[in-house]
Amino acid sequence: MSIVKKPGAISNWYLPGIISGMIFTLRKMIYNIFHKDKMPTLNYPEEKYEYSPRFKGQHVLTVKKDGSIRCTACMLCATNCPAQCIKIVAAESEDPSVEKYPINYEIDVLRCVYCGYCEEACPVDAIRMGPEWQKPGANGSNFTYDIQELAYRPQLKGGIESRLDEQERHDFGI
Amino acid sequence: MPKITLNGKSIEVADGITIIEAYKQLDEPIAHYCWHPGLTIAGVCRLCVVEIEGNPRLQIACNTVVQDGMVVNNNSEKVKTAVKWGLDFHLINHPLDCPICDQAGECELQNQYMEFGKYDPEMAEHKVKKRKVVDLGERIVLDTERCILCSRCVRFTNEVSKTNELGIFNRGDRSEVGTFEDKPLNNKYSVNTVDICPVGALTSKDFRFRQRVWYLKDKPSICTGCSTGCSVNVYYNEEGIFRLKPRFNKDVNGYWMCDEGRDIYKHINKENRMVRGRYKKDGAWCSTLPLETAKKAGEKLRTYSADQIAVLVTGQYTNEELDVFVNYAVNKLGTKNIFHWKNNPDGWNEFDGLLLRGDKNPNSKGLQKVLQKHTVGGEWKDLVNQIDKFKAVVVAGPENLQAYPDLKEKIGTLARLECVVWATADDNIAFEGLMDFTYLIPQKTSVEKSGHFTNYNGLEQKVDVVTTLLSDSLNLEETVELLVGESVDMSQREKEDMHVMKKNYFTTERGRL
Ligand code: SF4
Ligand code: SF4
Ligand code: SF4
Ligand code: SF4
Ligand code: FES
Repeated sequence: MSIVKKPGAISNWYLPGIISGMIFTLRKMIYNIFHKDKMPTLNYPEEKYEYSPRFKGQHVLTVKKDGSIRCTACMLCATNCPAQCIKIVAAESEDPSVEKYPINYEIDVLRCVYCGYCEEACPVDAIRMGPEWQKPGANGSNFTYDIQELAYRPQLKGGIESRLDEQERHDFGI
Repeated sequence: MPKITLNGKSIEVADGITIIEAYKQLDEPIAHYCWHPGLTIAGVCRLCVVEIEGNPRLQIACNTVVQDGMVVNNNSEKVKTAVKWGLDFHLINHPLDCPICDQAGECELQNQYMEFGKYDPEMAEHKVKKRKVVDLGERIVLDTERCILCSRCVRFTNEVSKTNELGIFNRGDRSEVGTFEDKPLNNKYSVNTVDICPVGALTSKDFRFRQRVWYLKDKPSICTGCSTGCSVNVYYNEEGIFRLKPRFNKDVNGYWMCDEGRDIYKHINKENRMVRGRYKKDGAWCSTLPLETAKKAGEKLRTYSADQIAVLVTGQYTNEELDVFVNYAVNKLGTKNIFHWKNNPDGWNEFDGLLLRGDKNPNSKGLQKVLQKHTVGGEWKDLVNQIDKFKAVVVAGPENLQAYPDLKEKIGTLARLECVVWATADDNIAFEGLMDFTYLIPQKTSVEKSGHFTNYNGLEQKVDVVTTLLSDSLNLEETVELLVGESVDMSQREKEDMHVMKKNYFTTERGRL
């Protein structure tokens, strides 16, 4: 026990503690009533806090110009993920210039520690950690996100375009 | 015997070997692409350069024969610089494909770059674009951009498979490996070119994109595809087995294996296996634990007299298992009617001159030996001739049902008997044709048990447990124990199961080790 109670100390008395606490609360309350705009708390969930765009929140799989998924299924994110929560199934693409793409990409976000290592590992800017952070769900299975959720959820409005462009790269000769 | 000094270590080597072979004997690292111990020397990659004392210029180790008193090193600054910029030349037109390249993780370019390279490329020109994803027949996909023109694959088709499909076309930086007019590369040993390709230019269609190699573990085993018994490495993880690669064995297969043998992992994986024991009762299949099925089968068998029982056995089990099984048949069942079931008795002794044999069982020799020991043994046709005599048959069936194309027809014949006890590793739709009192007892496959296989030549080779795919399946020894009514301790198996189950879904399904 780290709390050391001194017998007979003033802090042991009940009423002085309560009264000084109430005075503090009342002071803040009256102050807040007259300075509503300066209030630090939010009326969640009606009001929501906007984090900076750099916030490492919900994963986003980026898309190419044509709207198809950017990920090449190299599995580097899955390899780098310390929580081992990324599961990818790769397949041969119809388009020979794509070659390999994921037919299944799942993140178990309940296991995810939001470290951002996946984002760092990705060689093609295919996965990013977006600013969204609020993701309720009714049971465990709602937290395994698939491609549909990660790349095309409504909040993304048709998908976030990757900044790496295949055609540009090709024209540049690499 | 010349005495030479390599990197300061002196070694006595055989006359006439090359410096690179001496390096390999010493286990000293040396960079190389085009040299392969199983092929002739090409000397085209110039990466194996070494400094020989008294020689002003660097020499290639793969094409320089050792001489007495040679003092060689490959760790001086001069050599390192030469390798580094040699590598830069190789990578001038090499695409940035590692993320989608199947070779990544076992790529010599990656390895050498990490060891010798680490330079900033000094090439300002655009890369030369070549053809990608070229379909080269049934098993191979070629990416000409990734090829470093080491010519290993070309030499392989010239020297080993002797089919001469591959060649290098055009000149300079437009040189391209390929087949004439993209004719398919469909020889029986084609996937060896994928193994020896030091980069990801040749990839196997079967393995393509199914796993990254760093998720796989490998263990030595023996190929059970035919009676040659090639030494292989089995690549697996918790999801199952993904590929086989040849392992050097100078007595059997050298550096190679056939394409057919590479497919045997498919029947070993869970999808094709008999998972639960099954028996047929009143026209309906009931499924139980393997050991329950074996016990039930044993009880049923005891109701027959010795001369009503026939025993059919295939050479797909280890020597130890066959010994126990035949012993059981002769001493416990008391029958002399033991028949050796061959996959194709007509083409039994076929041999294609390199590795592949017509006898598709890993252990026919071992079986013959065991049968001789007990002076029993007949053929399938002997069984058919006297089939009316029998009421029950115990089958130590093939592990690889694919090797027995006439399975359905054979099952049709056996279905005439009253009781069939069949030990099998694989499941097959043909088993549906069996009647009441059929007992199908799930068996382990060659990668799940240890023992010995005797190949066509009488060479006994050891196999060890590689991995366990179905922990409650039985080996033939355990099956025999249960058939005679003894019990088998399965507690260890349950522990294995728990070990797998405790892990999270993502860990088990993803294939982490
Ligand atoms: S943020 Fe970290 S834990 Fe989450 S998926 Fe990415 S690498 Fe894995
Ligand atoms: S998200 Fe990026 S790192 Fe992960 S598999 Fe796709 S391309 Fe590779
Ligand atoms: S061959 Fe090697 S270096 Fe080239 S893309 Fe494939 S893995 Fe990368
Ligand atoms: S395809 Fe592979 S083995 Fe053949 S020449 Fe090119 S790099 Fe060498
Ligand atoms: S290994 Fe010696 S030149 Fe290629």
